[in-house]
Amino acid sequence: MLGGEVSLGGRNIWRDATFSLEAGSITAVLGPNGAGKSTLLKVVLGLVPLAAGSLEVLGDEPRRGNRRVGYMAQNRAADSARSMTGRDYVGLGYDGPRFGWGHDRAKRAVVRDALALTGTTSFADQSLDSLSGGQRQRMALAHATVFKPDLLLLDEPLGALDLAAQAEIVDLINLIRDTTGAAVLVVAHDLNPLAPIIDQVLWIARHQVRSGTVDEVVNDEVLSLLYGHPIEIIITPRGRRVIVGLEEEFAHPHPHGHDHSNEPAHEHLAEVYDEETT
Amino acid sequence: MSLRDLLATAFVQHAFYAVTAVALAAGAVGYFVVLRRQAFAAHAIGHVGFAGAAGAVLLGFAPIFGLLVFCLGAGLLIGSAGADLDDRDAVVGVTLTAALGLGVLFISLYSGYANATYSILFGQILGVTWGDVWLVGALSAGVLLVISLTYRPLLFVSADAESAASRGISARAMSLLFMALLAVTTVVAIQIVGVLLVFSLLVAPAAAAEVLTRRPLRAMSLAMVLALASAWFGLLLGVWLGGPVSFWITALASSAYLGARVSAALRTRRAHRMVA
Repeated sequence: MLGGEVSLGGRNIWRDATFSLEAGSITAVLGPNGAGKSTLLKVVLGLVPLAAGSLEVLGDEPRRGNRRVGYMAQNRAADSARSMTGRDYVGLGYDGPRFGWGHDRAKRAVVRDALALTGTTSFADQSLDSLSGGQRQRMALAHATVFKPDLLLLDEPLGALDLAAQAEIVDLINLIRDTTGAAVLVVAHDLNPLAPIIDQVLWIARHQVRSGTVDEVVNDEVLSLLYGHPIEIIITPRGRRVIVGLEEEFAHPHPHGHDHSNEPAHEHLAEVYDEETT
Repeated sequence: MSLRDLLATAFVQHAFYAVTAVALAAGAVGYFVVLRRQAFAAHAIGHVGFAGAAGAVLLGFAPIFGLLVFCLGAGLLIGSAGADLDDRDAVVGVTLTAALGLGVLFISLYSGYANATYSILFGQILGVTWGDVWLVGALSAGVLLVISLTYRPLLFVSADAESAASRGISARAMSLLFMALLAVTTVVAIQIVGVLLVFSLLVAPAAAAEVLTRRPLRAMSLAMVLALASAWFGLLLGVWLGGPVSFWITALASSAYLGARVSAALRTRRAHRMVA
């Protein structure tokens, strides 16, 4: 993306976004609630147009229905407890968009491969509403990767999971990247669980987007500049980053965007306590 | 007159063909009503139809034309608002109330006999003519044809609208299409069981099927079979034992749902006992 800018309903979401994703790399999209992280994914999907700047997705214009782009939405079916099996749900990722009659013979094998890759085969024939949160998330990943996409967009894949389940999903994202060689873009509200596997960070805040390696972006200087007030990063002995100075930002999220009301206000501080209690 | 003689009469035969067509369409559409949690919209469309039928009678047309116009109008209205889930219930509720108000007005203006109103509310399957059979059959076949062609995208968008959107399936377009299908199905179902009992064919069989199986295609087929069984046996019992056919159909379809819930509960309990 080169100088990308997005407006929704006449309001500027972010501007001057310039970044690129390497094949086989993982990029975390971070920032406060309502900063436009999910919007970024929708721009890449061709669901939201750029107001300015340009974007090339896998050497092409962004367009809907591109099979080479896999997408796992935030409010996905797996969470609304629909009464179908995981196998059916993954199958919809394969031929769900197709109108008309007829049965695709290749479907069975493709779905089986996606289930095997994501380790979901053993519970693929249970209904989605009987699965645990982590199992549903794995199933949603199977749904998104059924075509072995070259670009995989994941919106909050770690949301509403306990720490053990988060670690499993992070391992799975890493495995999917290694197996498919896809470029992965992961929206998250917490850097630390993803830190071991990511190559790049996009930090969106106050209508601006900063990109670079974790060290390049998540440091006192860049974040202070981005937020317009002093921010300190404390690195724990285990290499985790605690961000101080964003408490207000997270306690008063922007009034638009998604409903994260059940997330703790001091998300970036939370993992330090997790470390001690687990 | 023996049961066999009764079943050979023209009005029972017309009824048989009509309920067959309607039950198949209602079972298939009903599956998506249950999956999409749109029972309230289905309820509202039926009641809006009542106003349409009353208006048609007032103006001297056949009730089914008023039903079609009003149900399709309400369906498209609800469908266009329905992509936005937050205010869907409010839109449905207001549409429902406005239409019922109109219905009351139409009835008060109409000085003819009240039988027409009664049959719209409770169905009048044994008064079906050959012309009705053809109309109902053609509409039901059309609904089934469209469902069979759009089954996968409709299932996709019902299960996961955002993922479907990313793959080029518009939730709004599918919502409009589905509400149109629902409207036509409601119109034909009203011919059999009436406005007030339209759920007996539209929701009860599908709800029972959804309890019994988690595979979408199997659940939809089962909903069609249950709706068909309720309709056939309801007709048979009505002819044989007397009593309104729509009562029997409703009783059978509700029993199917109750039975499905009980059997699912027993199965869960047995599974728990085996684990313990």
